[in-house]
Amino acid sequence: MSEMSVSVSAPTVHPGSQPLPEAPAKVTARNLNFYYGEHHALKNINLALGTNRVTAFIGPSGCGKSTLLRIFNRMYDLYPGQRATGQLLLDHTNMLDPKLDLNLLRARVGMVFQKPTPFPMTIYENIAFGIRLYEKISKSEMDDRVEKALRGGALWNEVKDKLNASGLSLSGGQQQRLCIARTVAVRPEVILFDEPCSALDPISTAKVEELIQELSENYTIAIVTHNMQQAARVSDKTAFMYLGELIEFDDTSKIFTSPSDRRTQDYITGRFG
Amino acid sequence: MAVQSDAIDDAGPYDRAKALSAFKLGDVTFYWITRLSAISVLLILGGIIISLIVGAFPAIKEYGLSFLWTQRWAPSADPPVLGALGPMYGTLVTSFIAMLIAIPVGLGIAIFLTELCPQWLRRPIGMAVELLAGIPSIIYGMWGFFVLGPFLANTFQPFMIRVFDGVPVLGAIFAGPPSYLSLFNAALILAIMVLPFITSISVDVFKTVPPVLKEAAYGVGCTTWEVVRSVVIPYTRVGIIGGVMLALGRALGETMAVTFIIGNSFRISSSIFAPGTTISAAIASEFAESDGLHQSGLILLGLLLFVLTFFVLAAARLMLMRLETKAGK
Repeated sequence: MSEMSVSVSAPTVHPGSQPLPEAPAKVTARNLNFYYGEHHALKNINLALGTNRVTAFIGPSGCGKSTLLRIFNRMYDLYPGQRATGQLLLDHTNMLDPKLDLNLLRARVGMVFQKPTPFPMTIYENIAFGIRLYEKISKSEMDDRVEKALRGGALWNEVKDKLNASGLSLSGGQQQRLCIARTVAVRPEVILFDEPCSALDPISTAKVEELIQELSENYTIAIVTHNMQQAARVSDKTAFMYLGELIEFDDTSKIFTSPSDRRTQDYITGRFG
Repeated sequence: MAVQSDAIDDAGPYDRAKALSAFKLGDVTFYWITRLSAISVLLILGGIIISLIVGAFPAIKEYGLSFLWTQRWAPSADPPVLGALGPMYGTLVTSFIAMLIAIPVGLGIAIFLTELCPQWLRRPIGMAVELLAGIPSIIYGMWGFFVLGPFLANTFQPFMIRVFDGVPVLGAIFAGPPSYLSLFNAALILAIMVLPFITSISVDVFKTVPPVLKEAAYGVGCTTWEVVRSVVIPYTRVGIIGGVMLALGRALGETMAVTFIIGNSFRISSSIFAPGTTISAAIASEFAESDGLHQSGLILLGLLLFVLTFFVLAAARLMLMRLETKAGK
């Protein structure tokens, strides 16, 4: 590499994020392998997501970080030919158990996608829809829950006067916060974010990041991101993945200041990826 | 080098204008060809309407509006008595029953093919549906006449008649005697004929649902049924209704298969197991040996079918617009 790339410094970790004490594991992966048909996409992943902590997954495109996230709620099950082996625990539940009730699992492990995905219904219904799947509650209780979820998604003030407008009428950033609110409304334990800000403008990104920080008080969060500043800003721990392997997994401050693996160092300083 | 570029510069403005004018001629020609093609559609449509009105004029003059609510069809009486109520009733009832059967089945096939079907079964079923669309209607007619009609008359019809005997309203709808030739048989054949339209259009629009939207719905814990009902169908509503309208258009006008198995009776019966007729079946079976007022009456029937189809499709479109405003788009 030329001298020029040295000037690209690792993102600074924001001052408030001193390493938190080690949290009990919420999700634990042991020797986790994943296959797309014949292709061996994830190799022997071992890691634990700490309860009420934010874990960021970084790495170049195709390194398997989104794949890993999609195992955490068994989304891969929708597609034939994709399978996971090894062990994956949510608390003490075996998440890879083929007999596991996937709908219940996905209620416990919510997911927010790269592109906003509001359902083709009103803003109110977008939230109420998920709640109704699990609970029979009265109209007034539902109103409360919808309001709470929208406040949780930092969206209430912007939409409270147009709850009956279509979810698709919102801006991209608002749609993404609606999707977060929708996920929160179901009261999951873990929330997975798959590049939640890649389609958003900087202001919306800041709002979503702030929201992620707030949510981490009550939820275990995993976030896949291509934006290393974002990983540094929002996460407590960071996992660097490369070619389907977990290269390094440590406190975010350590990863971004003194990574122990050469490849991590190269990636965060922008030498490849 | 320099000499060459000078030469180009000299010739440039002149040549360019010439080249452009040649293009312009091409553009104008192209414009007129496409325009004439488009206008020809209007001319053909207008021509058909005018010739229908001209042909139907003697009948309109003779019967006026009473043509619409007269049930009697007696072309050989003197003077002939012609009424369109029977064929109109048959057309609407057969199409309605056909859609009642074909919409759920067609959507069901489409949902199975796109959401549930194992990969290896997808192609065979998909191709079978496409082939169903390719069968000529006369073959449906023969099959309905020789196979389906006797089968229904011996099994399904007696069963329904027995079950609903004595039940108000339904008892009258499913009343005996069983018959090879009936409104219901025709409707069932129609349902089979329009099924591929509904299925293949629904499959195409279901495929347009972004996978991530479905994943999001699965992600909040929906079952496949809930994803289909709350996300896939609302997302593709406009396309589905488009397919249904196309199918309805075909059902209203379908002639050959229906003529074979509907029984060509102008009497209106409350039972759907009784023979009846549709507008197109009446025209097809009588036009060849008609003349004078009788022929004019048949042309008037054709005009009615034209108007009927127009109104049904317009109503469907209106419903679509209502749905869209309701969805807040």
